[in-house]
Parts: sequence; C-alpha cells; structure tokens
Amino acid sequence: MHLSRREFIKTGIAASTAATVGLPISKMAEAAAAEVEKDWQWDKAVCRFCGTGCGIMVATKDGRIVATKGDPAAPVNKGLNCIKGYFNGKILYGKDRLTQPLLRMKNGKFDKKGQFVPVTWEQAFDEMERQFRKTYAEKGPAGVAMFGSGQWTIPEGYAMNKLFKAGFRSNNLDPNARNCMASAVTAFYSVFGTDEPAGNYDDIEHTDTMVLWGANMAEMHPILWSRITDRRLGHKDCRIVNLTTFRNMSSDIADLEIIFKPNTDLAIQNYIAREIIARDAVNKAFVDKHCIFATGPYDIGYGMRATDKYAYAAEKDTQAKELKVTLDKYEAIGQRRKVGDVVEQKNTAAPAKHWSISFDDFKKGVEPYTLDFVAELAKGDPDEPLDKFKTKLQQLADLYIEPERKVVSFWTMGFNQHQRGTWVNEQCYMNHLLLGKQSVPGSGAFSLTGQPSACGTAREVGTFCHRLPADRLIPNPQHRAETEKYWKVPAKTINPKIGSFYAKILRDLEDGSVKWAWVQVNNPWHTHPNANHWIKAAREQDNFIVVSEAYPGISAKVADLILPSAMIFEKWGAYGNAERRTQHWRQQVPPPGQARGDIWQTMEFAKRFKIKDFWGEQKLPGLKLDGYQDNTLPSVLAEAQAMGISPEDNLYKVLFANAENLKVKWPDAVSKGHDNHVAKLLGDGWFPEKAMWNEYQLFGKGKGKDLADFDVYHQDSVRGLKWPVVNGKEVAWRFNEQYDPYVTKGAGFEFYGKLLKAIPSGNLDGVTDPAPKSLAGKAKIFFRPYAAPVEQPDANYDLWLSTGRVLEHWHSGTMTRRVPELHRAVPAAVMWIHPADAQKRGLKRNDLVWVESRRGKVKVRVETGGRNTMTKGMVFVPFFDEGVFINRVTLDSTCPISKESDYKKCAVKVYKA
Amino acid sequence: MNISGIMVTALPEHVAEVAQSLSALEGLEVFQADVTSGKLVVVQEAPSVGEEVEGFKRIRAVPHVIAADLVQHYFEEDNELIHAIPDGLEGLEGIRVPTELQD
Repeated sequence: MHLSRREFIKTGIAASTAATVGLPISKMAEAAAAEVEKDWQWDKAVCRFCGTGCGIMVATKDGRIVATKGDPAAPVNKGLNCIKGYFNGKILYGKDRLTQPLLRMKNGKFDKKGQFVPVTWEQAFDEMERQFRKTYAEKGPAGVAMFGSGQWTIPEGYAMNKLFKAGFRSNNLDPNARNCMASAVTAFYSVFGTDEPAGNYDDIEHTDTMVLWGANMAEMHPILWSRITDRRLGHKDCRIVNLTTFRNMSSDIADLEIIFKPNTDLAIQNYIAREIIARDAVNKAFVDKHCIFATGPYDIGYGMRATDKYAYAAEKDTQAKELKVTLDKYEAIGQRRKVGDVVEQKNTAAPAKHWSISFDDFKKGVEPYTLDFVAELAKGDPDEPLDKFKTKLQQLADLYIEPERKVVSFWTMGFNQHQRGTWVNEQCYMNHLLLGKQSVPGSGAFSLTGQPSACGTAREVGTFCHRLPADRLIPNPQHRAETEKYWKVPAKTINPKIGSFYAKILRDLEDGSVKWAWVQVNNPWHTHPNANHWIKAAREQDNFIVVSEAYPGISAKVADLILPSAMIFEKWGAYGNAERRTQHWRQQVPPPGQARGDIWQTMEFAKRFKIKDFWGEQKLPGLKLDGYQDNTLPSVLAEAQAMGISPEDNLYKVLFANAENLKVKWPDAVSKGHDNHVAKLLGDGWFPEKAMWNEYQLFGKGKGKDLADFDVYHQDSVRGLKWPVVNGKEVAWRFNEQYDPYVTKGAGFEFYGKLLKAIPSGNLDGVTDPAPKSLAGKAKIFFRPYAAPVEQPDANYDLWLSTGRVLEHWHSGTMTRRVPELHRAVPAAVMWIHPADAQKRGLKRNDLVWVESRRGKVKVRVETGGRNTMTKGMVFVPFFDEGVFINRVTLDSTCPISKESDYKKCAVKVYKA
Repeated sequence: MNISGIMVTALPEHVAEVAQSLSALEGLEVFQADVTSGKLVVVQEAPSVGEEVEGFKRIRAVPHVIAADLVQHYFEEDNELIHAIPDGLEGLEGIRVPTELQD
C-alpha cells in the first residue's frame, strides 16, 4: 500500500494521538507513527502558561520544535491539552522575536529620548552597569529595583533573589505574583503559619461538591475544568456551584449559579458561618483540638498612597478614602457601627495585626449576617427575585453543611484581586475549619494559581520584598541569619528592612525614590493598574528601565534597554504548580540569535561588580532597628575577610561560581544529549541551574518544604513531585497524619506552620491582653466583616468595570498573540456589556466606545453576546490586548495586607467613540 | 501544514453517527472509532493557518459530540508560521513608544 507523505504523516499523528489517550492502535499505524517520528527527539516538559502545571511532550528535530502533545503520563492532565497548551511550541517562533539587545541611542550614545538601536551584549551591560552605579551611589540599595515573576524558573528566581538580597543588599525585588496571589499567601500565613494548599488536584475525583468563588475555571483552568466536568458527569451526587459577579462559561455545568455584587462575597461567607453555628453544625471535636478564633482591625485603608500629591484631580475623591471613609448602611450593620460614621483609617501601617478572641465573640461577629441582611446586600442581578436569591444562599449553606458531603472550594483572582483579599481568603478557611472539612481527600479550601511558577518560584523561593526562601521572612532576624548561613555571606549582609512591593516600586519610580529598575519575565507597564502614571514615570523622568523580553510588549517599548531573553524550551528550568508539584525540564532547542537565558543575564551582570561595591557601609533611609545605626546598613567587609572573601572578589565568583558550585559540572549525564546554552556561555564548566537547585534545596530540608534531588525530577518515570518530599515520598494532603509525616503521631491533624503562631488576646473591639500566647499546631478561624468597595458607581461613572483573562490568551498576550491561530481566534479585546445597558446608551454590538474612569480611557468594541453574560450595571474587558490598554482605566487600590491590586472593581462610564 | 490529532468523545450509542458526521467535514479524517470507550481519533488538516481553530470549533458543534480535546499538534512544515505575523502586531521596526503612550 502506497501512502503519500502527507497521508503518511496523518496516519502517524492519528496513531500517536490514539496511543496518547490509551486507545489500541494497529501495527501499520504504529509503524507509520514510528516512521513519521523517526528523526524526532521527544522529551518531557511542562506547559508555559497557567498554574495548572500540565505535562507536555516536546518533539525536536534539527534544533527546532516540530510537534508537541499532552503528556499521557502526567497525572495533572493525563495527555490532554487546552488550546493555549496545545500551541506551546509555536510561541517561540513569532516573527518579531527579540534577538539582540536594543538601547535607546542618539549620536552613538545612550539617550533617554533616542530610538532603539541594536547593540552588543557588552555595550548593553556597559550602559546598564553605568546607570546602576550612578543610582546606587546616589540612593544606595533602596534606589534600585527588580520586577520579578511567577514565570521565572526556580533557578532563575533563586539566582536573582540572591543577587539582590545578598549581593546588592536591596530588598526591592518583587514579582508580578504580587498581583496574582499575594492575598492567598497572607491568608496561608495568618491561618496556617505556612504557605500553599493542603490538598491536591485529586480532590476533584474525591469530592461531592465544588464551589467556585471568583474563579472562571472553564476558561482559565481548562484542564482542571475537564476533570471537574468528568467528575460531575460520572458521580451523580456531585454538585457544582459558581459564585461570580457575572455569568461566565463555568456556569454552563453549574448546578447553582450565584451572581453577587462586588465585595459581598465577604458577607456571603459570614452568612455560611452563621448558619453553621445556627444549625449546630460546628465540628466541635476538630475545632477544639485544632483551631482558635481570631480577628483584627477593620480600618486598614485600601492600599492607596496616603498622599494625593501624585493623584490627578479626578482621582482625588477616591484617593481621599485612604484616610477616612463614611460607613454605608451595610458596613455599619456588618461591623456593628452606625450608618454615616466617619471612620479614620488608623491601621494602614499595620493592617495584618490580629489577636485571638473567644468563640462567643466570633459568634457575635457573624450574628448580623442573617439571610435577610446578606441577601439584600449581596444579590447581584437586579432582575432576580429576592426570594430566589435567598433560596440559592440557603442551598449553598446546605451543600457546605450536609454532614456526609465532601466540599472543595476553589478560587483565584476573584478572591485574590480584592480590596479585602486576605480577609476573604481567611473566610474560606473559616468555613472549612468550622466544619472540619479541611486537609482530607475531597474536602478543603483550595487556592488555585494563575502562573506556572507563582508557587514554585515566587512563593517557595521567596522572590518578594519581604520574603526569603522556604517561608522565611526579611524582618525575622533568625530567618535572615539562616539565609546568610546557607548563602555563605557574613551576618548582617541582608538588609533587615522590607523592600518595596510591586505597586510601590512603580510609585517609587514616579516619586523619584527608585531610579533604576530591571524587569524579567513579566510586563509591568501593561499589567499594573492605573498605568498612565507608570508610563509617565518610565518615559518622562530620569529613570533607567531595563526589560528582558522575548517579544516587544508595552514594557519593552517604554524601556531604555531591552535584553533579548531565551524562552521556556530554550533553557533548563523548573516550575512549581498550584498543588505543590515541582516539575523540571531540559533545554530542547537553542535560543535564536543573541537571545540568552535570564539566569545568564543575571550572572553575567553580577560579573561586573566587586564585593566592596556593596558590602561596605550603605545608606538606607528609614532604617530604625536595634543593633543597627539609624538609616545605615553596616559594613560587613571585615567579617567577609574573616570568612575568606576579599573586598576585591567578584560578585559572580562569591555568589554563584564559588568553589562548591564549580564542583557541579557541565556536561552532566542527566542531560541525555540535551544542550545548555547558559553553562556553555558562562564557560566555567559548571551547571548553573543544577548548582542553584542544590543550594536552594537546603532551605526547605526538615522545614516542611523538602524537595528531591535535581536528577530525580529528570528521571524518565517522574512527572514532578509534590513537596514536601520526605524519604523519597511526596505528600498528598498536608497537615493530615495519614499522609503527612510532619504531623505528630496520634495528633490526627496538626497545623504545624511556624509563622504568626504567638498572638495577643482580646475581643471584637481590640486587644485586652497584649502578651503573646502560643498556639503551636493550631489554625486560626478569623472573623472578618463586610467592607464596601472603595470606589463604586455613581451618577457620573455609572458602571462597574471588571477585567481578567480569556481562554485563548496568556496575560498581556506577548506570547499567545504571536501564535496566528490564537491571535485569530480572539484578535482583540472587546467590552462585554448587558444588552439593556448598551441600549440605554444607544449602543449596539461592534460599536466603538470609550470606557472612561477617573484615571484614563480606552477605545474598545461592544460585545453583548458570546461567552460572558454581563450583569446589568457591570462591564468586563480582558487585559491581554495592548491595543485596548484597559489598565489605563483600572484602579490601583490593593488589599492593604497583601498589597495585591484589585482588578475586579472600579467605576467607569461608557459612551460612543 | 498544520495537522492536529484530536480526541473526540461521544456516548457509545452515538459513536457510529458521530464518525459519519465528522468524516463528512472537509479536511477531517476519522482514523479510529472505539464504541466501548466512546472515543474517536480524528486528524484535521487545516487548509490555511488560522482555520485550525475554526475547524476545531466545527467539530465541537457536531451533534452528540460531548468533548473534543486537542492531543497532538504537528507543524514541522508550517512555513507560514514564521512568516505570518498576525495583523495588528508591530514588528521590530515598531519598537518605539507608540504615540498613544506618549501623552
């Protein structure tokens, strides 16, 4: 039988597809598959996009990716791909890929107002160094900053964390994960004393109920959604609830859809807690043994600046609420105060402080959250009858409370990007803990993530301005000392003052306190809210912005220097997903042109400095701490000398290519013929990614964050491992004795996290006994009240605006918009609006309109149908499209505890363009 | 050339009918249809870049199709890929601050 080449390839693809999904294939088809793939090299890897962490297989031939497929052996996705995952291979090959450093120049010299001109890496680093030294001399460690990423590989994040915190002695390093899941982290800390979820994705196949709180999983976590759909169809008692502010694709298979008003999720959670108590459904044995009750101040502000010096005139009224707010009816009832009370926001400086309270106080706190009160406050759809909404709330409470029913709550940005994000995360644990439905298969509150390594890199490596690896914190002297020990740097090298968080770095650039910033693997000028301010700060002020990028997104365009970066399969790396699974991959293909891995850029830049440049005395405005001279970081040069480190030693040699790390040799048998452009270019014969892994691994050992050896993750049989990996075994459910070796034998459950585990005590109104009492091993059940959104629609700005992703695109679209299929599927952002709201404004589908807020405006086309059905009074605009730059419109208010921006609610008006 | 391996799911009693409907679609070939598991393996060849996704939507719209999952993606000879930059995205020459960002 003769087959044409094309038919032959198709037979091969069919056979390979069948094999992937476990269907039997014929001998002939098998032969065809083998023939088609005979020159291909398949290797396991991981998806570049969301936090699900799907395994993919990548085929290469002659230095180019020729095919990708879902990895049938990957427990996360079992051979399936979503549409973005499917095109992983193509994101590398966009025509406008950046392949050489570009510097703004005029007459052969750097010029802020110049055009981008291709330069060599040497010239690029020369200017970058010159600008860095200028700013460091003027402002010290606080004057330089780094925008990091939840898309950094683990070794990349680790290396940059070390360069900034040990090398430059600056804590101004914060990831875009700040805007993605910081609220989840602060709640993990306050409730459990340690970061990241107790459960794992197998909860889906174990549970009876899945409640989505502000998580449109059908679009944003499609592979998890296919597992949820399978469970729903295959298990007759399974129920799915979608809580959202407008109807989205996840409602399609939901048994119960609850449309609520922005921020009223806070009230709905308290209603459930009140019902649990009223129905005598508190799991007393669990709560008495494993939990305590707690609360904190309500007057914590909204994460905006305290001054209106930088605000546009139109912004000043919203901004003034940072200082004081007038309570509306619902806040007054929910906070047991009076309507019209003007509340000064007195706790903006320490919004996270909290104290233990009694169960009776807790009960008193949730008492106002009756069905009548919450239904009236929370009902989001004006056309829905109140009684129907009440029935739905009762059904929701029933599903949580029914004794034998297992429940998983899932959430992502609806909770996290929230002016009370930490509170609403804590409330979700509140209900699971009250019921004892936590840390068991099929039951638990499960915080999902949005980025491929928000957990693995940003959170676990601690690439935040207040964190160090493995749950360590900058302000904790013992944590700094441990880190200095692992890093083999002198005591007091690490700056004890928390650095600037993501939003603050941008504000610092605007007010002149930071003047040099570097961006890797993210796009702050596209994705941070209230963007007009930050664009101006980058372009019109005397700041030097370096952007490492693969494609020219908005941040690259506003930069002064662009460094071309290698993309995922062009380098060795590791990501950690939302179920604590760490997955590694090898370099599959070489980067194009002059593009280089971010870790190479980091280490190469380090080569330009000496120890004496940073480890002498440094000015640090605002430092006031026992054991430190005011406003000064001490010199550690003498201690360094005693450790054998000379002031003349090179930073690269001390932090990275030191004697220990040079023993980790490249080439290495683990490569199985794969290359490593970073190792080759650095040229010292070491294996930087593996050496960084080995160093990093020490931080979590014995601390509940144990990771396996580098080579283990690269074994053919391994598809990532869920930490803690103890004696070679992963942990499926944390804090549960049956699964977690860290739990004391006989305890049943133990919430053994160490952070924030000694607190004062008091009542709902404040602290009565300031002496901290230990609550080792216990979780906290927080009472948190309803708080109204800081900016709400009014007569002028009469609509809510929410923003987010769409299925086809990743974040700011720099990668997915280069895949013609994805670009054509959704070429431009549109504004979804309710047909009645459109009609009221004389608008119809496809009309071009302005969306305008106090901060800025953009033009966009109207969509009244399609995948989202808007609630009356609300519009939704996705943020991926730089042509519809919606972050010029959004509000940069944050959760005051987590400092994560709220992209889900601000007030806008819409009119014909 | 864009060739996709797609797994289609249908109830066992509908597998034969679904296979027939899929075969009738242009550029689509049904390679396997397993009645026991309700799984079909189809291969789609998209006549041009961009129609791959459209074609995928078409599969999902076929009566009795419960799910269609992309499994394998082949683009070895997809020359269009590197030459066709989507409309509306600027090339290298465009790396300067767009005027709308300068105000």
